[in-house]
Amino acid sequence: MSITCQSLDHIYGYNTPFEYYALKNVNLKIEKGSFTAIIGQTGSGKSTLIQHINALLLPTSGEIKIDDYIISQNNKPQNLKSLRKKSGLVFQFPEYQLFEETIERDIMFGPMNFGIDEKRAKEIAKKSLEMVGLDQTYLEKSPFDLSGGQKRRVAIAGILAMDPDILVLDEPTAGLDPSGIKEMMDLFKKIHEMGKTVVLVTHDMNHVLEYCDNVVVMNDGQVEKAGKVKDIFLDSDYLLNLGIDLPLITNLIIQLNLKGYHIDTSINDIDALVEVIGGELHG
Amino acid sequence: MDNMTFGKYIPGNSIIHRLDPRLKICAVFIFLISVFFDAGFIGYGILAIYVLLCSLVSKIKLSHILKAIKPMVFMMLFLMIFNIFLMKTGDVIIKIGSISIYSGALLQTAYIFIRLVLIITLTTLMTSTTKPLELTLAIESLLNPLKRFHFPVHELAMMISIALRFIPDLLDEAKRIMKAQASRGADFNEGSFMEKIKSIISLIIPLFISAFQRAEELANAMESRNYNPEATRTKYKVLTWTHLDTLSMLITLGVCCGVIIMSFM
Repeated sequence: MSITCQSLDHIYGYNTPFEYYALKNVNLKIEKGSFTAIIGQTGSGKSTLIQHINALLLPTSGEIKIDDYIISQNNKPQNLKSLRKKSGLVFQFPEYQLFEETIERDIMFGPMNFGIDEKRAKEIAKKSLEMVGLDQTYLEKSPFDLSGGQKRRVAIAGILAMDPDILVLDEPTAGLDPSGIKEMMDLFKKIHEMGKTVVLVTHDMNHVLEYCDNVVVMNDGQVEKAGKVKDIFLDSDYLLNLGIDLPLITNLIIQLNLKGYHIDTSINDIDALVEVIGGELHG
Repeated sequence: MDNMTFGKYIPGNSIIHRLDPRLKICAVFIFLISVFFDAGFIGYGILAIYVLLCSLVSKIKLSHILKAIKPMVFMMLFLMIFNIFLMKTGDVIIKIGSISIYSGALLQTAYIFIRLVLIITLTTLMTSTTKPLELTLAIESLLNPLKRFHFPVHELAMMISIALRFIPDLLDEAKRIMKAQASRGADFNEGSFMEKIKSIISLIIPLFISAFQRAEELANAMESRNYNPEATRTKYKVLTWTHLDTLSMLITLGVCCGVIIMSFM
């Protein structure tokens, strides 16, 4: 399922003293099966944009097309619910959405809302929990007895259980420890490899470089740039101007090049970089 | 919930914005008393002019006030319907089958409608021109005399300001959780009764959990800074009573007492 935004505007509190332009004329295409990062400073409209992808927010003007669904102010998709099954949205700190007595029942909440029967939902819950790296002994536990990181996994399992074609993630690794972050990102990579479209909002450019193919740069409610990851990081001054840091590897390459090396800045893997530096030293 | 305007402060620099919050609370209180005295349509006319003048001076948009009245419309209709059919004073005006509508009922219903609109308008004006923190300060200052009788004035004011402080946060939180559950297929608007109940549970439980969490965090934060309600403390914001406040008080008293006296004539 590809996502197309056409001259999308979103104004919060339209016609009140608190009116606020969150999105201005956003045109964007996110290809089916891509792993797309959305980056930009806090308040640049990233979260507003992704909430349009499953019609939680409707555009003030303009429209979004997701396959056959058209989301616009006047044309609410007839079947909002079935769109929400197809595009799963994981909010920031999703652990706050847990509410059931047992983890199993909490994961079953999504599938059962979409009309899947209890027996099948139980199987799905088991599978989803396994996917996020928790074993079956957790099924009968209360979600409120878990640690923060485990809660996050259960919440994400609750979204995966709906088997969405598009997975939208709003800073899914915020507040996790380094090993938790790595596992989480590898999980999203695995989901992407299963053929899903993944949209990731993040502040960590290392993740963008390592995991994503495409990147959308937002600034002040507008799409500043959209393209391949390796092209975006070429223009480092431009990104620094927007308050976006460079990935560690790219930064290292740029520093080395300033000192007379000639290394390709699109390298995104530390082993490849070591090899190239080795080559330059010997050659 | 995006359109929650009732009670929200709207920044501005009008005369009403700058008035002492104690004056505003007293004025609203006196107004509330006078609105319940029946001085006929002329009395309500005078009070309506007073409210209208206040809203003109405050420069708050009329559409904003109307928005505050909107959520009350259902309650108002409910009250009015009951009044029209249940009150039995005056002459019978209309008779449909066994139900008869009396002239007194119509008059009283009209009064109730006018009263509610006036009250909501003026209280909305007060809350939209006064920061919640100022209101709390004013309450604390007005209740100060009760300290003699060992009434916990400061504690009460602290409780009110904490409660007010967290209303917007909890609303935001509720909105966030609703969205999160909606993307899991919870349906807050449509669906069967049982589905709706289930959806509401999925909102209320996380909301309570986060509210208790916040409360605990706040209590710990206050304790770790050695908060002591009995300690005497100075204030960052000091309320000052000006001549403008005295003048506004006199006008309000004049209007309201006038209406009350009229009602006895």
